[in-house]
Amino acid sequence: MKRLFITLTVCLMALTHLTALAQRESAERDVVTITWWHPNSGIAGKATDVLIDRFNTTIGAEQGIVVRGVYQGKANDVLTKTKAIMQSPITDDLPDLVQLDGAAVLDVRDDKSLITIDRLAQADGYDLSQILEAARLSVTYKQEMIAMPFNSSTILLYYNKSAFDEAGIKAPPRTLDELTSIAVKLKQTDAKGKTVRYGFANVPTTYELMCWLGQQNGLSYLTDEENGHTGVPTRVLFDENGTMVNFLTKWKALYNTGSLENLTSDLNGAFASGRVAMIVASTSNLTTIEQMVGSRFELGVAPFPMVDEQATGGVNVGGGALWVLDNKSGHQRQTWEFVKFLASEQSQLYWHIETGYFPINRNTYELDQFKAHIQQNPRAAVAIDQLLSSNPRLQGIWVPSAYQIYYAFQSGILKMLEEDRGVEETSRAIAREINGYFAEFIRMQQ
Amino acid sequence: MKRLTAVVATLFSLAVVFPIAYSISASFFQWADFTAIPARLLPSVPTFDNYRRAFSESNLLVFLSNSLYSALVGTVVRMTISILGAYAFTFFSFKGKNFFFILIVATMLLPPDALILENYTTIRTLRLTDTYLGIISTTLLAPTHLFMLRQYFLTVSREYREAAVLEGCSDSRFLTTLLIPISKAVIITLAIHSFSTIFNDYLWPLLVTNREMMRTVQVGLTMLGFSENLDYGPQFAAITLLMSPILITFIALHKPIQDSVSTRFTGR
Amino acid sequence: MKLRYPQWTKPYLLIAPALALAVLFSYRPFVLTVLNSLYTVSLSGKRITFIGFDNYIRLFANPSFQASLYNTLRFTLFFVPINITICLSAALLSNRPGRLATLNQIFFFLPMAVSLSSSMMILKMMFNPSIGIINQLLHLDVQWFNNRHAAMALLVFAGVGLDIGLNFLLLSAALRNVPTDLLEVARIEGANSVQTFRYLQGPLISSTLLFVVVTNIKDAMLISSPVMILTEGGPFRSTQTLVYQMYLEGFKSGNYAIGSTIATVVFTLTFSILLLLLHLERRRVYYQ
Repeated sequence: MKRLFITLTVCLMALTHLTALAQRESAERDVVTITWWHPNSGIAGKATDVLIDRFNTTIGAEQGIVVRGVYQGKANDVLTKTKAIMQSPITDDLPDLVQLDGAAVLDVRDDKSLITIDRLAQADGYDLSQILEAARLSVTYKQEMIAMPFNSSTILLYYNKSAFDEAGIKAPPRTLDELTSIAVKLKQTDAKGKTVRYGFANVPTTYELMCWLGQQNGLSYLTDEENGHTGVPTRVLFDENGTMVNFLTKWKALYNTGSLENLTSDLNGAFASGRVAMIVASTSNLTTIEQMVGSRFELGVAPFPMVDEQATGGVNVGGGALWVLDNKSGHQRQTWEFVKFLASEQSQLYWHIETGYFPINRNTYELDQFKAHIQQNPRAAVAIDQLLSSNPRLQGIWVPSAYQIYYAFQSGILKMLEEDRGVEETSRAIAREINGYFAEFIRMQQ
Repeated sequence: MKRLTAVVATLFSLAVVFPIAYSISASFFQWADFTAIPARLLPSVPTFDNYRRAFSESNLLVFLSNSLYSALVGTVVRMTISILGAYAFTFFSFKGKNFFFILIVATMLLPPDALILENYTTIRTLRLTDTYLGIISTTLLAPTHLFMLRQYFLTVSREYREAAVLEGCSDSRFLTTLLIPISKAVIITLAIHSFSTIFNDYLWPLLVTNREMMRTVQVGLTMLGFSENLDYGPQFAAITLLMSPILITFIALHKPIQDSVSTRFTGR
Repeated sequence: MKLRYPQWTKPYLLIAPALALAVLFSYRPFVLTVLNSLYTVSLSGKRITFIGFDNYIRLFANPSFQASLYNTLRFTLFFVPINITICLSAALLSNRPGRLATLNQIFFFLPMAVSLSSSMMILKMMFNPSIGIINQLLHLDVQWFNNRHAAMALLVFAGVGLDIGLNFLLLSAALRNVPTDLLEVARIEGANSVQTFRYLQGPLISSTLLFVVVTNIKDAMLISSPVMILTEGGPFRSTQTLVYQMYLEGFKSGNYAIGSTIATVVFTLTFSILLLLLHLERRRVYYQ
């Protein structure tokens, strides 16, 4: 018995020893270390490391700042981790800078650790108008710029140009009506009547609906409080202003031709394998899709199709942004230096060339190197032209229960198609479900 | 009949092992092999490039040693706690025995994911983030192991221990010279399971480690992926590297496992 | 120095570490979780007002929760029998002498060597509908991630893949412990393999089988990580399980009260099932 307890004690002592093995890195004197948590892996991860290195060897070396980039998993993991620390009593483990995507806004914007970009820029006399308006508004809450856009993207139509040529189609569709008539021509069936190629594949996600509903009549909001950018939304507007009914009518017509496949995942694969002739996807997928398609067929890209001729709002900015946090280290000035560096015209040029995320700094667009790059990459040019001609006030929705809302849209639309429900009825049902999530959120905050 | 059984068993076992074999093969794929239509079973021209990239683009070895160390220490502590507990619940009569037993075993029904936020707060309050103890802390109690061990110990008659104690044999002697040896099979099986459970954990180590040098290999694995452009090669190379030591251990250990498993004991 | 403890403290000291860990890392956080389910909880995780069972009433009226409950029960109903059948067949089929049998056995428990994240990554690639090896090899055209039924089937398959290693080892160990002389007697008496299993092996491995069934039900009711990596609850919520929804509500939507309420429901459900099974086991033992 005694020996047992001794063994146990030794084990426990070994355990306490374990805690000593991981000492915190002692910061060198006179050098301020800035921590940046990010979700960038692969190509974006390498570009991130290069940018950090450039900063550390130039501005950082002059001002005694060392940036340490820490990959914290996928975007969701970074958010989970950041939130967990924000909610605990001790917040000094927070990074100085964290890169989060749009879904994080609601969790972070009201946190007391957040230092807004507006405040930092004002204190420094930094001119925020050099940031592209659409990108700036994408992180603006109650008239205040709360984060710095960084990995920004939009949405494009990808089409199988070889299939278009075979079917004698001259130009990609501009509107959903044109998309429907083209999709019908692209659909192919085998001898048994089974569809071997669909014209188009999609089940609209929140992001796609933000564009398809928001672009109508020049600009339409999906929810009150300007899509949640001026406060917590209390109800949706798409059922009142008719944008959803208008969209669903076009969508149902497309589905009824039999040339639309209800795909929710692996759209890139379905497109690259030739099973589907057109898809819509983020501009950040461009490199991937180019590689996947390879020499199988000629790839074409075009602006995201409009709902109708009056839907002139274009597309909005998606992706992620950089958030400066207060972790009681007092290193905000140094963090801000690094943010300015990342947002600079040269950093943004490098970031765009490496990753395909579009530059958020207006000055980048004037650089000769950028113009040369765009000329060599006409597909990237399509995405940028589209963004620059869009209404910058068309912005993403900031809503609670984003995942439930995502499924509310998709399930509602699928139900309409498969069970042949009416468009008005569907619009009302989706609105009712989403309004329920808003009410639930507000109830919890009181 | 016997031959049929053998054929069916073999085909069945090949199907079970197919994903493993496929990922080993895929770790030698060229980039284009992944998107080839029809899909490939074997690489067009085998390449080691994926392995080179898996190593050069991350601190895979550091991650691996972190994982091995925490899994090893975690397993030892976990088995010790489980054996001691199961021993008490099998061979002692004491007040509240059933209550405490249910209390401990019932923890296997508490979804760890549901408790992760509160547990994380505990670890932070105890200042154990970025430590090995932090990584293994929530895995140290294995209610299923304690339950299993008790089930096995129950097959050993209580009279054995009473007789042993009467003859002046201490509890620790009884445990180490009789009980543990005859339960070797189940202990080895559970230890292997413990090891792989701790080794394979993902979300918890991700949460409690902030420094890159404290990362475990499961977390490191996802760093290789640039999932958006189907760059699966290095991913499969890392998966293969990661599972090979365990695969080899399993294959090498099958003999002791089989032997100890065939150590028969009567009872249920 | 000689350590002396009164005899009666011995068992308590032996179970103390397990008990301490159970309290610290299970019960304390669990109590906090239950408490959260009776309150409204702010985004920052602070309990605001006590509202009794209001969260539960709202939860059961929520279509998303109804889907999760239905999916979880459906998954459990498919997964447990399929998994037990597969693992038990594997154990029975390879329970024979010979080198080939040893090889079969090794193959059956090898999946244990692959981590959850690795094996889910492997499956995701293999089941890719357009370029994955499974559709290609079997000449299928199944949209594994777009069809509601296919996605559920894939999840069941993934669950079996994760569980087969350990279940096989346990069942196979139990089968090997069936005394060979008894099997010999059965053979001489002319019992076929079904009868041998029904009257001899089955009853003798029943305690292991019970354990496997209990842990499988528990695993099935709590499934979340494969959902997270493979299907993310889609398509159309068809694979959204209870724990996955809890994760969505608690971690992604910041709705801790609802997340905690789901956790409490999951706990109650699984706990009742375990108690029922333990009760059944006890009765069996008495009547034997």
